[in-house]
Amino acid sequence: MAQNVLEIAASLHRLERAVLPHLAKHSSVPDMIAAAKMQEVEVVRALNWLQNKGLAKVTEAIEEVIALGENGELYAKSLLPEARFLNALKSKPLPLSEIKKTAGLDDDEAGASIGVLMRLKAIEPVTGPGEKAFRLSEQGKELAKSGLKTQKFLSGKKFPIKAKELSEEEKQIVAGLRTRKDILAEEIVKSRTATLTETGKAVLKAAATAKETVDRLTPEMLATGKWKEAQFRSYDLTAPAPRVFFGKLQPYREFLEEVRGKFVSMGFEEMTGPIVESEFWNMDALFMPQFHSARDIHDVYYIKEPKFATDLPQQLVKKVKAAHENGFGTGSKGWRYEFSEEKTSRLIMRSQTTACSSRKLASKDLKIPGKYFAIGRCFRYDVIDAKHLADFNQVEGIVVEEKLNLRHLIGLLKLFAKEFCNTDKVKVVPSYFPFTEPSASLYAKHPELGWMELGGAGIFRPEMVKPLTGSHIPVIAWGIGIDRVAMFKLGLNDIRELFSHDLNFLRNAKVA
Amino acid sequence: MPTITFSFRDFQQLLGKKMSLEQFEDNLTLYAKAEVEKYDKAKDEVTVKLDDTNLPYTWCPEGLARFFKGILGLSKGLQKPTVKSSSYKVIVDSSVKHVRPYIAAFVAKGRKLDDYLLKQIIQMQEKFCEGYGRRRQKVSIGLYAYKKITFPVHYKAVEPSSARFTPLEYDRLLNLRQILELHPKGRQYAWILRDAAKYPLLEDDKGEILSFPPIINSSSTGRLEVGDSDMLFEATGTDEESVNLAANIFAHNLFERGFEVFSVTVSYGGRNSITPQQKTEKISITPETVEEVTGLKLTAAQVRQLLAKAGYDSSGSFAIVPPYRADIMHAVDVAEDVAIAYGFDKIPDEPLKSYTIGLPHPSVQKINKLRKSVVAMGFQEVFSHILTDKGSVVGSAGIIELGNYMSETYSAVRNSLLPQLLDVLSRNKHADYPQKIFEEGIIAAREGSGITEWHSMALASAHSKADFTEMKQYLSSLLASAAAKLEIRPAEHPAFIKGRAGSIIMDGKPVGLIGEISPAILAKWGIEMPAAAVEINLDFLFSD
Repeated sequence: MAQNVLEIAASLHRLERAVLPHLAKHSSVPDMIAAAKMQEVEVVRALNWLQNKGLAKVTEAIEEVIALGENGELYAKSLLPEARFLNALKSKPLPLSEIKKTAGLDDDEAGASIGVLMRLKAIEPVTGPGEKAFRLSEQGKELAKSGLKTQKFLSGKKFPIKAKELSEEEKQIVAGLRTRKDILAEEIVKSRTATLTETGKAVLKAAATAKETVDRLTPEMLATGKWKEAQFRSYDLTAPAPRVFFGKLQPYREFLEEVRGKFVSMGFEEMTGPIVESEFWNMDALFMPQFHSARDIHDVYYIKEPKFATDLPQQLVKKVKAAHENGFGTGSKGWRYEFSEEKTSRLIMRSQTTACSSRKLASKDLKIPGKYFAIGRCFRYDVIDAKHLADFNQVEGIVVEEKLNLRHLIGLLKLFAKEFCNTDKVKVVPSYFPFTEPSASLYAKHPELGWMELGGAGIFRPEMVKPLTGSHIPVIAWGIGIDRVAMFKLGLNDIRELFSHDLNFLRNAKVA
Repeated sequence: MPTITFSFRDFQQLLGKKMSLEQFEDNLTLYAKAEVEKYDKAKDEVTVKLDDTNLPYTWCPEGLARFFKGILGLSKGLQKPTVKSSSYKVIVDSSVKHVRPYIAAFVAKGRKLDDYLLKQIIQMQEKFCEGYGRRRQKVSIGLYAYKKITFPVHYKAVEPSSARFTPLEYDRLLNLRQILELHPKGRQYAWILRDAAKYPLLEDDKGEILSFPPIINSSSTGRLEVGDSDMLFEATGTDEESVNLAANIFAHNLFERGFEVFSVTVSYGGRNSITPQQKTEKISITPETVEEVTGLKLTAAQVRQLLAKAGYDSSGSFAIVPPYRADIMHAVDVAEDVAIAYGFDKIPDEPLKSYTIGLPHPSVQKINKLRKSVVAMGFQEVFSHILTDKGSVVGSAGIIELGNYMSETYSAVRNSLLPQLLDVLSRNKHADYPQKIFEEGIIAAREGSGITEWHSMALASAHSKADFTEMKQYLSSLLASAAAKLEIRPAEHPAFIKGRAGSIIMDGKPVGLIGEISPAILAKWGIEMPAAAVEINLDFLFSD
């Protein structure tokens, strides 16, 4: 036992050592804080540690405390409205308007005062013609001299008051004032008391005689050699340490980086393009007719100002216009309508990363054979829910090469299924996109998720390719619904979580 | 994408063959660019979603059954309804030329409409007009009880207030202008006629009004009911080919349902058009073209066989396109149909053989290096939407607003990443501090008459002692690793406390901002901790 006490005494923290003597003299924690001249947090922490070691017993009591509210503070200084009403009538009866003026009351306050004072039988109405007037009753005169009890309570007491210290009469006054706005404010206050246990007393005694211990090794001690005499306080090694939040990359963004890496490793070169895009690059250059339903005001976001792109390649616009109207000499009939050059220059938020592909096909540095991909933000006029976002990512790409056909397209899609879902079980089925023919959709059987639609693909129509590249070279185009794959990889059920602003979620998320 | 509902038993009757629901589902995805959305067993109702927005004949059980008859070998080659000639006439007045110039019509007789068939006809009418007909602008369709009509029918355009009738689902006479103002359908479709001085009107030879295309039919003549067996069909629109397509598709469907179909002569003054036209077009398709597109080596006979499965006839090296299709623009369209009839599942795949070098975009590596440095300083990365609330931006200079946003939350393009970081801080008041967060991404702003987009990066730190010095430490460490020289000049910005905000200068140009977030901004976002932040334009940083 004695040995144990000495050990405990030696391991006391600086704060525990400081609080211990005061604990012997005071039981109320606020008193202890005052006596020890320490900060509240320090004392509270020390007491917690001491309690954990069995040296102190801390008890918490809950107390109801009454304080003054905003109006209470005011009325304590400048009198309650009814007290002012009463004072105004001290010398003589007065009409209500005079009372209000003298006492400085508004309509509400005057009304409330009349109610209170009538109930106390302190005033009575003066009967007669003309404006309503009041005078003091006998009782009222007494009260005017002695003062209202409520006023005395408000002005005379030192707030806050503990509820349990109120007299019966005061309790009644409090009950009355409680019903009025912002006069009293009540709080529940925790009060702490602490006492030393028997071991605590023994440790206090031992600590008084124990040698001073050292908390921290300092550079100074090392320089002077003082460390040789120092006795280091031993730590409580089981005490919890606060968690450190190290920096982390955003999991979804990291997943997209991984996707980028995969495409680069498969020989694809990255392409980009602006997010504020013209209808020309986003749709017309893709041979999507201007009357197509996906170009509706309810499907695409339009820019308010500026409304039109000023940097469209005019010669190319003419060729694309011809492709829409009559097929541009590709052997196609075209869409057979009047192409609007104003509509083609309208600025929108990019609705598909295919806009990057049309820009790439038209660019001078297009390589043949060439493989290109884009990871980009796209925007759709959609109601946001667990499956839809207004602003999301797409991964798309093209392969440009002589003699490509549907068989290569199917081969490429099977490769993607292997890369992204690690599966050989795929279905490639016919599909429809206005800019590809043939068109296909890829379904992959994910080992855990079952059949899922992974993306769409096709061979760009000649009416699209010829105006952009000048020839009818085969171009395989594909897009992958990357958000869906990301949700699976990250274990999410709600697509909105991909862009989560919840810090706890981000801090705890596994990084792919 | 259209979604249609029909009785599965009805479909099998039209097909003339039993098919299990499972087979139906497989066949839809493998051949028809469609999928079953649901099946209500109690009602025997199947709901199908169709991908091809350019192939309206498949948006009904009749068309789907016709398609599968070919694919499954139950019918061969091009199918055509029998159309009987008649003396029925629609006389088109030249006044419609500037509002809605074209009309196609036919009469169908001899089969009593039951509730199901009437519903199917109305469903097809709606799907066709809403989808292919561009919400009735390009094509709208009207159906009338034949017995109430005296031929010839007149199609003309009139002064909006000069004609009055009681429209369907209404209880009193309205003139055409009032219909657009008061009738629910009028309000829904008034936009189609917003620039028109005269409105289209269809009336019979006695002057009885049939309808006000493309808005609403008359309640006395323009209502088809269960028990009716004879009807007039008409489609009006802005594109002659499309109104003809509508007549072709409906005539074919009704013929397959057991109606006798009679043509109508549409007289345009100078010329006549007899509808449904049922005209076929031919398009050249050789085994070479098929191989070029699909990679399948087929003989001419094989190609003809597959074309027959896909509903085409052949003539030499030409494919004859059925009149209910208007989607065939180019030989590649026919080649795709050949591949579909062959079966995508039977086409062997082939790997790409060319060798190309993969490359990320040049800025990616620099950006990723920077992101990792920021993480190493203890920052949590966030990834936000590019669309933002136009009310949340701090300093709205150059903000790009959307003209047609759905919700305020996504009503503008972000011109800074700072508001996103403030949003994170405001949503995480109960998460442990310090909170050190950052984001890298595209932002955009108007510049002169154009728009500029660039990569930006912002860092924020919030905790009880967050201050300018801390931010400057991070910034200088980052720029040291990016080998850029740092200069900060005093600046004023509404986001920051005056005297504690600086403009970051590189090569004499301002490239970013740094400072302690102003308490007014913190209060606005409900953030209860001091915070400091920095944002820099990465395009400037990397432009060397």
